[in-house]
Amino acid sequence: MTDPHLPPPLPPMPQTSQASQTSHHAADPGAPLIRLQCQWCQSMNEPGALACRTCGAPLDVKDMVSDSGWREAPRIRDMTEIHFGASTCQVEGEIVPVAEINLGQGDAVFFEHHVLLWKDDHTAMSVLPLTGGVKRALAGMPFIISVAHGPGRVAFSRDATGELVVLPLHPGQELDVREHAFLLCSHTVQYTFIRVKGLRNILFGGNGMFMDRFIASGTQGLLLLHGYGNVFERTLRPGESIQVEPGAFLYKDASVTMDVEPIKLTSGLFGGTSMNLARMTGPGRVGIQSMYVHHATE
Amino acid sequence: MNLDQNPSSGGRTYTCSWCGLTSEGIDLSCPACGAEVDVRAVVTRSGWTELPGRRDMAKLQFGQSYCQVEGTYVPVADMNLAAGDSVYFAHHVLLWKDPAVAVTSMGLKGAWKRMLAGMPLIMTQAAGPGHIAFSRDLPGELIALPLQHGQTIDVREHLFMVATGAVSYDWFASNVWFTTKEGDETETHYPLGMFLDRFTAQGAPGLLLLHAGGNVFVRTLEPGQSILIKPTAFLFKDTTVQMRLHIERPAGTWRSWRSWGDRYFWLRLHGPGRVAVQSAFEPLEDNGRTIVDHSGATERRW
Repeated sequence: MTDPHLPPPLPPMPQTSQASQTSHHAADPGAPLIRLQCQWCQSMNEPGALACRTCGAPLDVKDMVSDSGWREAPRIRDMTEIHFGASTCQVEGEIVPVAEINLGQGDAVFFEHHVLLWKDDHTAMSVLPLTGGVKRALAGMPFIISVAHGPGRVAFSRDATGELVVLPLHPGQELDVREHAFLLCSHTVQYTFIRVKGLRNILFGGNGMFMDRFIASGTQGLLLLHGYGNVFERTLRPGESIQVEPGAFLYKDASVTMDVEPIKLTSGLFGGTSMNLARMTGPGRVGIQSMYVHHATE
Repeated sequence: MNLDQNPSSGGRTYTCSWCGLTSEGIDLSCPACGAEVDVRAVVTRSGWTELPGRRDMAKLQFGQSYCQVEGTYVPVADMNLAAGDSVYFAHHVLLWKDPAVAVTSMGLKGAWKRMLAGMPLIMTQAAGPGHIAFSRDLPGELIALPLQHGQTIDVREHLFMVATGAVSYDWFASNVWFTTKEGDETETHYPLGMFLDRFTAQGAPGLLLLHAGGNVFVRTLEPGQSILIKPTAFLFKDTTVQMRLHIERPAGTWRSWRSWGDRYFWLRLHGPGRVAVQSAFEPLEDNGRTIVDHSGATERRW
């Protein structure tokens, strides 16, 4: 069934000068695929790199995009290292992956403190001063964001099976993230939160009505999310929209608008019942998770 | 992994890097713990070793019986018990069994204490011959800990899945706690639980199986070396490792913020010995009230 209001399906993902960025070893068509440009975060890599230096995505595997245009978040190989600033992040494990950060001098990451797994004794801790935090606390949210400062190691993980979604933020990018879904973010990224109007009791199960907003202004930043189950991303063109289960929403570019629409189910069996879907309208990226638990806030 | 030429046995022997058993090296996986013989230990830059890979359907030998580990997402421990061999387990992990396998309850000393702590009161025992299989309710890893004669290991409560009859079971107070007070209301919190389980191989080598949430990481602390871990991520430790509660207060917080995180509770593990953590952990409850007493916790204010 096709919706006449929807624009035609997405064309293949834009791939700039694909031929020059994809090569095969020694002109052998059976050799593994090696990319210079990462298809996930668009960063360029050294020839011979097996994983993207900036986001950890494997460079030697086929891009996983469904016929409907959803791209699977790359499954980061065990022990992959990601570089940001003077620091590194090693991704460990594949069931509930751990992000282990080795912070360089002068670098810091911020996070919600309940995701801490372990740390060195000497890794200094502080909190991020937030304006408007009181409003958010009143809505039942923890409004304190903790900061770990280099030098030192600190490791993070979450409470359930899922994927670590690595989103390098290029200068000028703004990303909105489902509350409590972010694992950690580098200190060069500006953090704020936005009030989601009209979504109380729908999007967040009554526990909140905020989204975290991450803005990379001057320099490149690194944002790590934990998505429950598998994570998929799709890029919407201007005016293109898609309806998603609100509990599955994980992140979006700030340019994507989100409106919750009730869907009336008026068959005899479900008379009077309605369900809600979030209409996301482009342009920009939308990320969803396949296991949409309504996790309690802390 | 060590593959050595051993002239006395007339061939190669293999010493498992995970459990230390020396075998003939003719199998694809260690006969005691199921770890693959042809993989290198995966160690993080900071020194944690990942639980070694285990082939689906790997077989672990104990006594005259064996345990086959099936599946990789929520692994099943499928025991083929020989006559005379037995295992015991917490009753909620039983997946299936042959009708012929008899299940009986074991008496536990001090059971009333366990009831207070909200732990399973009944330990159940199954005797061979026959098949009996166990699994847990969350994705994670099955940890096989072969215990040499006389070896003891301390395990956080609720992680125990099944142990062979040669392993004795005991528990002791974790002695990691803090008491909060507001008005007339005092409350004592046990970030690790009130008790730790202690397993010892007595008289003969035994096999202990645990189930952890998410991924498992193990490291050996040098004498005097210490590390801070989330208490609810703690899995097990050698008896030589000392534990202590550590309270950390980040810079820039106000007392009025306390229930949202002006303090973090850590478990300090102090070497020498082996320690292990799981990557999926339950949240650590903190009501943010004033701490009036604790189990000798250290404190750091940034």
